[in-house]
Amino acid sequence: MNRLRRTYPVRHGDFIHAGEASIHVKNTLKSLSYCPDLVRRVAICGYEAEMNLVMHGGDGVLTVVIAADEIRLEVADTGPGIENTELAMQEGYSTARDEYREMGFGAGMGLPNMKRNSDEITVDSSPGQGTAVTMVFSVGGRCP
Amino acid sequence: MNSVHHGTGCYVSFDTSLCDGCTRCVKGCPTKALRVRHGKVVHMQSACIGCGNCLRICHTGAVRAATTDLSHLKKSRISVALVTPILYAQFPGVLPRDILKGLKRLGFHHTVDMSYFFEMFQCATEEFVRENREVGKAPWPLISPVCPVVMRLIQTRFPSLIPHIHPIMRPVAIMAKQVTRILSKHYGVNEGFISMYYINPCPTKKGDDPKTPDQSFTNGGPYAMGICDIYTQLAKEVEHVRSLDDIPMTFSSYEFEQCTSGDGLLWGMVGGEIVASHIEKSLSVSGIDETVSMLEKIEMGLFRDIEYIELRACTEGCIGGALTAIDKYLAKSACQRMINLLGTGKRLNRDRINRLYEKEWFFSRRTEQGGLVSEGFAGHSFTIEEMRKIDGLVQLINGRDCAACGAPDCRTFAEDVIRGDASADDCLVLRARGLTVAQVTEYMNR
Ligand SMILES: Nc1ncnc2c1ncn2[C@@H]1O[C@H](COP(=O)(O)OP(=O)(O)OP(=O)(O)O)[C@@H](O)[C@H]1O
Ligand SMILES: [Mg+2]
Repeated sequence: MNRLRRTYPVRHGDFIHAGEASIHVKNTLKSLSYCPDLVRRVAICGYEAEMNLVMHGGDGVLTVVIAADEIRLEVADTGPGIENTELAMQEGYSTARDEYREMGFGAGMGLPNMKRNSDEITVDSSPGQGTAVTMVFSVGGRCP
Repeated sequence: MNSVHHGTGCYVSFDTSLCDGCTRCVKGCPTKALRVRHGKVVHMQSACIGCGNCLRICHTGAVRAATTDLSHLKKSRISVALVTPILYAQFPGVLPRDILKGLKRLGFHHTVDMSYFFEMFQCATEEFVRENREVGKAPWPLISPVCPVVMRLIQTRFPSLIPHIHPIMRPVAIMAKQVTRILSKHYGVNEGFISMYYINPCPTKKGDDPKTPDQSFTNGGPYAMGICDIYTQLAKEVEHVRSLDDIPMTFSSYEFEQCTSGDGLLWGMVGGEIVASHIEKSLSVSGIDETVSMLEKIEMGLFRDIEYIELRACTEGCIGGALTAIDKYLAKSACQRMINLLGTGKRLNRDRINRLYEKEWFFSRRTEQGGLVSEGFAGHSFTIEEMRKIDGLVQLINGRDCAACGAPDCRTFAEDVIRGDASADDCLVLRARGLTVAQVTEYMNR
């Protein structure tokens, strides 16, 4: 049972602190000497998921479980949920409001980016039920 | 005298006989390189990046920058002062040429203004960005190599960003290279006869220990003199110069010797590096916390659409350096007034610079062995098991980062305990709750 589990609350609409949980996770992984490429991928995925929670979701929690062979990242919120998760996973699909587009978001690249950078991804969501994105990164797989 | 200062060969040293163990510097150190143990400061040199925060914070005078003093001039045959516009900003209302004359009266044989070399750097940088924009191959965003503190921060805490460092030599290195070449030719002497002294706004050099030369310079590079260390003496000479009608400049045969420019003066302030350049997608950030936060974001893959980022560890830029002599906002106002007076705009012969660029003259050797290469993540590394214990101890303490233990915060304290550098006994909170070291250890191992 050699695992390290950490949870970070993330607030919907809080752009000031958005991304801090992922930065914390990134720095933890760095001091645990994981390979830079893995650290970068986990950080990118965590950031995208955090931003989705902040923009589209509701209040929630980022959980990371760190083990020698794999890293598991879960970002869950109690927001409005996603109507069609398959559609949401497609590149370019976005429901982001104009004000967010002006901030540089809303390209519809977040979920596809998470898929590309993780080894396994599950999006568990339905309207009114909130959203949970779980990603798994295997250590050693893509790392030298 | 030097013997009480442990830590020579680093950017700063500490006189423990003056330290009262207040922990203010400990809390203000951005890389957590300081602790108080047994009532005195302890400096962990490998984590020090030379930002100078401890110098600014210490109220007992226990911290000293590793710089060279004026007496060193007597030992040099041909001495050259390398002058940044930040020095001029320390003398509001005084013309740069009077300050350079003052430096001559202090004993320097030559005074060289940096403006010219800023311009060279800028031309080469624009060329590099333009070239790479066309082929889209540079690792955007490029990070400015100018601030040495930022360079060390990247090297020790963000090694994965090393490829982002803009590969052109820093202006001071361009300057040292040029000046050495021209003066050794002029005098017909070996380069070793020429001693250069960089009049510095920050503790940027690791003393004058020949074993730790600054890799961005040839032959070990210039000696470093803090602006604040020579300020009183220089102010006296400047006063004298101004009281006379005219002292002719001697040796002004080099085109760059006294050519201050408005563009050069911009460099002392935040944004100065990019405001006069033709790079559209650029950002400038100053202050150590903001710089760290920016590097964190770049490391997360953000800001890919930006071409160039100017980072300065000091708030307001180099005029906010720890070794400056006057208030940074006064200095800023002095800069602004002087820029008004001198105007801005480039003066260099662009074709000549481009020819040098083509010959790769500007490229730093930083990627070569011995230069700025990754040392891996220099933060302490732990196993998952150890990290769990650290988390457990932090939870148990549930403290408020009081620093009474001598570490800057509870987490760093917990890390020290796990590494065996501190004892659970040092924590006031644990002691107040009557927890013994054995009980704490048992809790952590659960
Ligand atoms: N946590 C969430 N709660 C509700 N809807 C979500 C959530 N995450 C994603 N979505 C929906 O999925 C869509 C696609 O998400 P994705 O991250 O791929 O793109 P985006 O966030 O719109 O734009 P980008 O990430 O490129 O800035 C979003 O526009 C939104 O409709
Ligand atoms: Mg998104």
